Amino acid sequence: MDFAWSDQQRELLDAVGRFASHQLNYNVIENDRDGVFNHDAWKKCGSFGIQGLPVPTEYGGLGMDPLTTVAALERLGYACKDNGLLFSINAHLWTAVTPLVYNGSEAQKKKYLPGLCNGTLIGGNAMSEPNSGSDAFSLATTASKKGSRYIINGSKIFVTNGPVADLLVVFATVDKTRGPDGISAFLVEKDSPGMNVARKLEKMGVRTSPMAEVFFENCEVPEENLLGKEGGGAFLFTRSMTWERGCILASAVGTMQRLLETCIRYANERKQAGQSIGKYQLVASKIVDMKVRVESSRHMLYHYGWLSGHRKAVYLEAAMTKLHIADCWVKCCEDAIQIHGGYGYMTEYEVERELRDAIGSKLYSGTSEIQRNIIASMLGL
Amino acid sequence: MKILVSFKSVRDPSDVTVAGAAISTPKSVINPFDEIAIEEALRIRERGQAMEIVGVTIGAPPVDEQIRTALAMGVDRAIRIDDSRVLDPYAVARILGAVVKKEAPRVVIMGKQAVDDDSNQVGQMLAGLLGWPQATFVSKIEFLDDKTRARCTRETDAGLEVVEVNLPSIITTDLRLNEPRYVSLPGLIKARHKPIEVLTCDQLGVIVRPLTTVLSVERPPKRAVGTRVESVEELITKLKQEAKVL
Amino acid sequence: MVESLILIEHDRQRVKRSSLHAITLARQLGGEYALLLLGHGLDGIAASLVSYGASAVVVADDPALAEPLADRYAAIIAEAAQKDCAKTVLGTSSTFSKDVLPRAAALLDAPMVTDVVAIEDIDGSISYRRPINAGSMFATVKVQGDRRVLTVRATAFEPPAADAAPCPIKRFEFDAASLPNGMQFVSREERKSDRPDLTEARVVVSGGRPLKDKETFELLVGGLADALGGAIGATRAAVDAGMAPNDYQIGQTGKVVAPELYIALGISGAIQHLAGIKDSRIIVAINKDPDAPIFQMATYALVGDLYQIVPQLIESIGRA
Repeated sequence: MDFAWSDQQRELLDAVGRFASHQLNYNVIENDRDGVFNHDAWKKCGSFGIQGLPVPTEYGGLGMDPLTTVAALERLGYACKDNGLLFSINAHLWTAVTPLVYNGSEAQKKKYLPGLCNGTLIGGNAMSEPNSGSDAFSLATTASKKGSRYIINGSKIFVTNGPVADLLVVFATVDKTRGPDGISAFLVEKDSPGMNVARKLEKMGVRTSPMAEVFFENCEVPEENLLGKEGGGAFLFTRSMTWERGCILASAVGTMQRLLETCIRYANERKQAGQSIGKYQLVASKIVDMKVRVESSRHMLYHYGWLSGHRKAVYLEAAMTKLHIADCWVKCCEDAIQIHGGYGYMTEYEVERELRDAIGSKLYSGTSEIQRNIIASMLGL
Repeated sequence: MKILVSFKSVRDPSDVTVAGAAISTPKSVINPFDEIAIEEALRIRERGQAMEIVGVTIGAPPVDEQIRTALAMGVDRAIRIDDSRVLDPYAVARILGAVVKKEAPRVVIMGKQAVDDDSNQVGQMLAGLLGWPQATFVSKIEFLDDKTRARCTRETDAGLEVVEVNLPSIITTDLRLNEPRYVSLPGLIKARHKPIEVLTCDQLGVIVRPLTTVLSVERPPKRAVGTRVESVEELITKLKQEAKVL
Repeated sequence: MVESLILIEHDRQRVKRSSLHAITLARQLGGEYALLLLGHGLDGIAASLVSYGASAVVVADDPALAEPLADRYAAIIAEAAQKDCAKTVLGTSSTFSKDVLPRAAALLDAPMVTDVVAIEDIDGSISYRRPINAGSMFATVKVQGDRRVLTVRATAFEPPAADAAPCPIKRFEFDAASLPNGMQFVSREERKSDRPDLTEARVVVSGGRPLKDKETFELLVGGLADALGGAIGATRAAVDAGMAPNDYQIGQTGKVVAPELYIALGISGAIQHLAGIKDSRIIVAINKDPDAPIFQMATYALVGDLYQIVPQLIESIGRA
């Protein structure tokens, strides 16, 4: 088992780190406070190549294998403080780009992937509804075929990137009586007639990632925008969800590393009662726990990446990776605040924001409870 | 038109990372002024005024990392003169002179100075050795008359100067000429297929011996720690009575 | 025959005083030195140089030299050095001397040392001390060969006394027609100012990026400079943002100053800027960020809003 990066991987990871630390860390406190999406930073990431990391080169991507992709996202998380930007990038990659890559027709891939890869198009998906979250496949949005179009009716909630997306993968059922086998996926471009991106949703964290409710009222979508087969939506969703679970918290591993280093520095510099607070065991112990969480998260992430790259089944590993990293991330943030004391509570120190950003990780891409259910079922329970 | 861009690998002068250096970050970079030179060459090519951009640097194998960065930015091919000695500007100029004879570029662009040595000599010395015109500390370049001349704006102590130089010429760049692009991942991957030619001074046909020897390097004494003042009144009082400068 | 040949800079009207500081180093090196002047219509300027103890003021005066084109100037400097058998050619660091002297060094097949701040005699050979890495370090170097070219940092050497008996002014004869022809001067843009020269002023007031725009910069930085009879400087960031022209820039690649009093307004203290101010006698820093690096170097530190403080300062100084 070779745990070393190749020279080429190292060069790529270093380039990602330099790019992010130089170009993406500005106005984060203000944008978080005001819930502002950084379009400029998004475009820079696109020009740099982030949004195209795992996409085959013939469609404008970099064709990176899963392990290199997650390592690059980890480095991005380390060097970029804007977790909301990263969340939007992840939503784009796993809920729009990935389904297109695996289920798109040649025409669809050629039409949308280049723009999605280079930052000119922003993607997302619309799955959850007010009455269906964890129970995703009980969705009520309908799509009925009328001639050469599908007419979509329904309402979606928690649409990440909704307010800024150029393309949404919308899940609707063509036949409610078939249950999950009626679910189909549609590529819906922004400003489609009958599509209404409604109020922006205010969140606790990742506030620089915009989110909205989206209403479909007799929204017309051309039949060539059906993604995959009619009735193939559940399968498409599950498959892209597996990618999402494995990869969406890759950047969180980098974030935790950064938090760890920040805490070590602070613990060495901050002196109370005559010594650095790091010398007090209760403080040191928290930092030790952070370190162990970072390492275990990293190993799970890389193992998932390796398995995925070797085309092994990763349904179980993806769920475990997501469950574990989310848990570690939240705990690291709690510890980081505690270590920083009062300063940890102040927005200008940028430590409290990390916890607000991290909490969502136990909710999106399947709650931690759902991940546990998945793992339990995979264990034969 | 062929452009030769000369660049130097230097220790990174800026604070690079967000949170510390635990994750490996490159400790050497392309000299910032040379990066500006590379960027300018790329822009000249993007305007359709140049066909080929060749990069050249002098150093041992580790500087290949900076060469790959230059290639990733868009330089077409690069030459590394394999020499691990500490060279002074005159030695560098003589080596570059041999490279110029080999490559016959129409323009040589380089940074006005290296931020580690701060000598600001190489470009001018190279121009003298070749008998070529020079435009130094340039903040704007325009090619005229079907690229037989270049009009350059120079930043001087008194303001700005505009000169025209016949080509071929040496141009050294100043800060405000442009803002260099960042390496993109696609650029990095393309760079892996671009050729790097490694030559020794022998192969180039040039023998140089640095004429400058560094005897020692030390930090200057720190200034004495100053004092905080709390108000304008206090500052003025101290400047008058203590510092006796008002 | 002289030991040293010193390139004197002028602005077509009078000598640039900082260029005289190279004479002080030439005196330290010992031996005879000649002053070299290039340009056109130089009689008045040449006459002002006769009392600096030189063996001669050598004047290359010709329409072909009316503008400082490096290819022509370097050719003349090299020829003059060879004619006078000068072992050392020196000048004071400036954009002019840095443009022409390295080229002259190459023509003389000589090494060059930039920004000398001191010399030392080590075992009978001279070594030169110079700043490197934006002045965060100093290197002591020695050079080999029959000749060398140097530039000196003006702030490291006292201006020379002009109390010697007058020396002759010699016309340097050369063939103007055989001068290089590859460069043409087009135009220059220089502002005339009533304020003192930045490199010679007793007081310098400098502004950084927080000064918002050109008007605010002139109002506050200019206002305070005028109240103190000083010159204006700027950081690279302020110049990049268009708040101040490039010739105000102080730092590693701009001007190096060492006034009695340097006041830094809204300047955080990047190492590249500090490189240009380290030898100031008194440094006052005004910044609202208590952790700004400049406070490590400041003699007096005032943490606060410069928009409140500077008008107060201007008013108080005006009253005093």
